[in-house]
Amino acid sequence: MELTVTKDATCTFCGCVCDDIELHSDGTKITNTKAACVLGKSWFLNHTAERLYPDALIDGKEATVDEAVEAAAEYLYLAHLPLVYGLSNITCEAQRESVALAELIGGVVDSHTSL
Amino acid sequence: MGGKVSCTLGEVKNRADLIVYWGGNPAECHPRHFTKYSLMPKGRFVPNGRKDRTMILVDIRETASAKAADIFLQVRPAKDFEMITVLRALIKEQPVDTKLVAETGLTLEELTDFAQRLKKAKFGVFFFGMGLSMTRGKHMNSAALLTLAAELNAFTKFVAMPMRGHGNVTGGDVIMRWTTGYPFGVNLARGYPRFNPGEYSTIDLLIRGDTDAVLVLGADPGATMPQPAIDHMVRVPTIVLDPKVTHTSKIARVHITTAVTGISAPGTAYRMDEIPLPLKPPLKSPYPTDEEVIRRIYQAVAKKPPLMPPVRPKVPRV
Ligand code: SF4
Repeated sequence: MELTVTKDATCTFCGCVCDDIELHSDGTKITNTKAACVLGKSWFLNHTAERLYPDALIDGKEATVDEAVEAAAEYLYLAHLPLVYGLSNITCEAQRESVALAELIGGVVDSHTSL
Repeated sequence: MGGKVSCTLGEVKNRADLIVYWGGNPAECHPRHFTKYSLMPKGRFVPNGRKDRTMILVDIRETASAKAADIFLQVRPAKDFEMITVLRALIKEQPVDTKLVAETGLTLEELTDFAQRLKKAKFGVFFFGMGLSMTRGKHMNSAALLTLAAELNAFTKFVAMPMRGHGNVTGGDVIMRWTTGYPFGVNLARGYPRFNPGEYSTIDLLIRGDTDAVLVLGADPGATMPQPAIDHMVRVPTIVLDPKVTHTSKIARVHITTAVTGISAPGTAYRMDEIPLPLKPPLKSPYPTDEEVIRRIYQAVAKKPPLMPPVRPKVPRV
């Protein structure tokens, strides 16, 4: 596998969001990190691009993303007061989409901050 | 937390000569905070780095961070609010009740010295952690510390900043603020945003059983929330988007695997001082990103008949 080097990568493991990390990767795994602390290093080394989990599950059974998206949409559509919760380990772009979805389904949107 | 007296970490690096960590353990939870932003770097107005700065740690026990501190003040558990109140009085040279001082577990001399140092700093900063904001008093503690920081500006320049934890929690606050006007716990059921912590916060909605479907993203409440809240997530349809099959996925009706933020999903994340930074994912995921999946759910819902009946045509004027 070809080794790629990503300079000035950003670590999102803690609120420091260090943006000076160097990452070496072989296409499926990150093999080495520079400048990251112990927490950041284990965060980067522990994630791979392998397919370790099924694409989607419905009631515990494997399903396609299309089916799961339809099922999710149906549940949220039918609910009187759906709740959209979390938003911590996702990008700002995904957070913005989540707020839009909460508005469309007439629900509550909330994050870790409320705990 | 709009309206707080704060600054960027770049300003801390270049200006701060008094650094106070309150109820947090950066040495273990934010390992590069000292070296990258607060204590060690040489800055424009603190050319000698660590030598030009004083670090005070306030906590209920001596954590690993105490080693880096010049002064460690051990406050009695759950007495932070009292301690801040005494400090607010001391900086204004008001008399304080000795009984109240004794309750904090610190002596009047220690607190007077602390107050003097706060006032004498050229540029001071409070970094406060969950030891302050998640213990007895909760957001009232944070509010008291932010008030103290604001009041210190009568004497010098002083700011306060929460030490935010995992991932992009700061981004969550910022995004909800600019889209809805409120930072968290926003109810959009009436078509406009309403904010009422305690009523629309997740724990309360779940424990009271007020919600009848839950979409969980970038979190694993099934592992951390109190049992009655988890029970309710089992009772109603729960949908999880996560790079892993989590505890919550196991009790959910629907789970969708997504790419990992910053590792195989691109986008933006906010640093604790509300500076947005671009992510540079080195890997390509076989899974779609959260952003993509949410947008697809949105489109699937949008295709269904609207929840509200259409507005009746205007009655023509005669
Ligand atoms: S490298 Fe360490 S200090 Fe920096 S963001 Fe990652 S976990 Fe936090």
